[in-house]
Amino acid sequence: MITVTGLTKQYGKRLAVDDLSFEVAAGRVTGFVGPNGAGKSTTMRMMVGLTRPARGDVHYAGVHYRDLRHPARTVGSVLDARCMHPGRTARDHLRAAAALSGIPGRRVSEVLAEVGLESAADKRAGKFSLGMRQRLALAGALLGNPPVLLLDEPSNGLDPDGIRWLRDYLSSFAARGGTVFVSSHLISELSMFAHNLVVVGGGRLLAAESVGAITARNDVCVLVETPQPVELAALLAAHGHTVEETADRLVVTGTTRAVVSQIAFDGGIRVLELTETSRSLEDSLLDMTRSSAEFASN
Amino acid sequence: MNTAHATSSTDPAAMHLTEHRPATRSNGEDARSVLAALKSDWIKVTTVRANRALLLLTVAGGVLVSWAVSILVTDQVQYVAEVGFFWTSVTSMLAAIGGVLLFGSEVQHGTLASAVAARPARWVLALSKTLTAALLGLVLGAAGLAAGFGGAVIAGLAAGDTSALVGTIGWALLFTTLSGVLGLGIAMVVRNSTAAIGGFLVWGFVLENLFRLFLAEEIARFLPFVAGNHLLAYANDLESPHALAIALTRPENAFVFGGYTAVALLVGTVLLYRRDAD
Repeated sequence: MITVTGLTKQYGKRLAVDDLSFEVAAGRVTGFVGPNGAGKSTTMRMMVGLTRPARGDVHYAGVHYRDLRHPARTVGSVLDARCMHPGRTARDHLRAAAALSGIPGRRVSEVLAEVGLESAADKRAGKFSLGMRQRLALAGALLGNPPVLLLDEPSNGLDPDGIRWLRDYLSSFAARGGTVFVSSHLISELSMFAHNLVVVGGGRLLAAESVGAITARNDVCVLVETPQPVELAALLAAHGHTVEETADRLVVTGTTRAVVSQIAFDGGIRVLELTETSRSLEDSLLDMTRSSAEFASN
Repeated sequence: MNTAHATSSTDPAAMHLTEHRPATRSNGEDARSVLAALKSDWIKVTTVRANRALLLLTVAGGVLVSWAVSILVTDQVQYVAEVGFFWTSVTSMLAAIGGVLLFGSEVQHGTLASAVAARPARWVLALSKTLTAALLGLVLGAAGLAAGFGGAVIAGLAAGDTSALVGTIGWALLFTTLSGVLGLGIAMVVRNSTAAIGGFLVWGFVLENLFRLFLAEEIARFLPFVAGNHLLAYANDLESPHALAIALTRPENAFVFGGYTAVALLVGTVLLYRRDAD
């Protein structure tokens, strides 16, 4: 299990990660999601000791990363798939990594086979496609047979076949008791195999719960078209409902048409259209992180 | 303490993770891990073309320059025991470049982060790279000397006075060894291969020669490459009789050049600890 407690990182005046606390359970795939600039990569770098936090700690079953006897055999990480010398072959890249961690050389051929790169083992990494680099980076993370995998956007550059392979691999890894902590922008893809989600925005924790719980809480919403949006929004808010005003209608989450209709009727407010819709996990997460997105399209 | 372990993933049914507390590392284990880090660094050095190119340049340049000097310089008698060392000044620069690339390429290509993640005790990485840079400097120095002597022999020069040859070879190898480590130290401070290499070349071939025009000879003898090149102890026609008279001894020159190396390495190691491993 990974325990993150009060992790904080500041760059100048900018608070990149703000008092982040969560747990990553063993035997589970935990997704790490958030918009660009939310602090995901910074958090993951702090989790493997590459970036020093201003405050806070990360423990792996009670042990700090820097104190682990065999870090590479406990935590396999892929934080940037481009991290390899372009002039070195895949095999030599892994040989050097294995040697550094005291891992037997035979593991190099084993992990190359696991990720499907045996035929490209003696090819220079500079000639690799992004997908091949992702696979090589994953091979490096698997060298030590670690029980924990930390992956930052591992499916970038993978083709659909590769994404499916990765999904199946991580699912079976967790099913065998491994701990998987994976960040991804592909929320729909992540929702297919993640058990839990940690959602961050603006460096802060927005949610840390199961996929089912997030989906259930934000599942249903009611779209209301009315000539009196301001009055109706105030009335709904007074009844404790969450209301969002869009260009031409109100969006009321976590309630039903019947409830909204009754409130409008009781308030003497005319309603032109009342539609109940269910939201995808992606919509739920986008709503959750919208206000903290650093870069957002119109 | 129990160790969290997993069996080979080639046997999926047998893989399991316990929630037991993973084993922790001692300082003794860090010390023993230097050997593993050395092995890794040597793999890195020997598997990129840039370092093979450095070795080839050292050998080819040494043979060519020694042969050319032997053939073209006819106004004085030359001997193998002297001409063989002429290329060492350049070899020292090549060794410094090798030292720069040892660290600079890791920063440039992001492999430093992987290394730090695998070995959180950063002094292990610093020590391993220091020893590797020293070994690289030694190998290049030996290759350069062999090429230098070889070129002079091919040109048909006589051996000359060989009484101090072994000693001078030793000092020359110390010069190239320390140059490799100096390159590493500068790269650890600057973190940019291009800037570090450019700085070395400009400083060594241009700035120091300019400073020597303006500085008093009592001060100029403490410039790094002035001290380093004096380890080779062949007479330099550009130096005044006063400069030659007050020149430091070889051990003193080694101390000066080694001092610059030690400072660069120390500052670089401190920065390796203080900076994030990006």
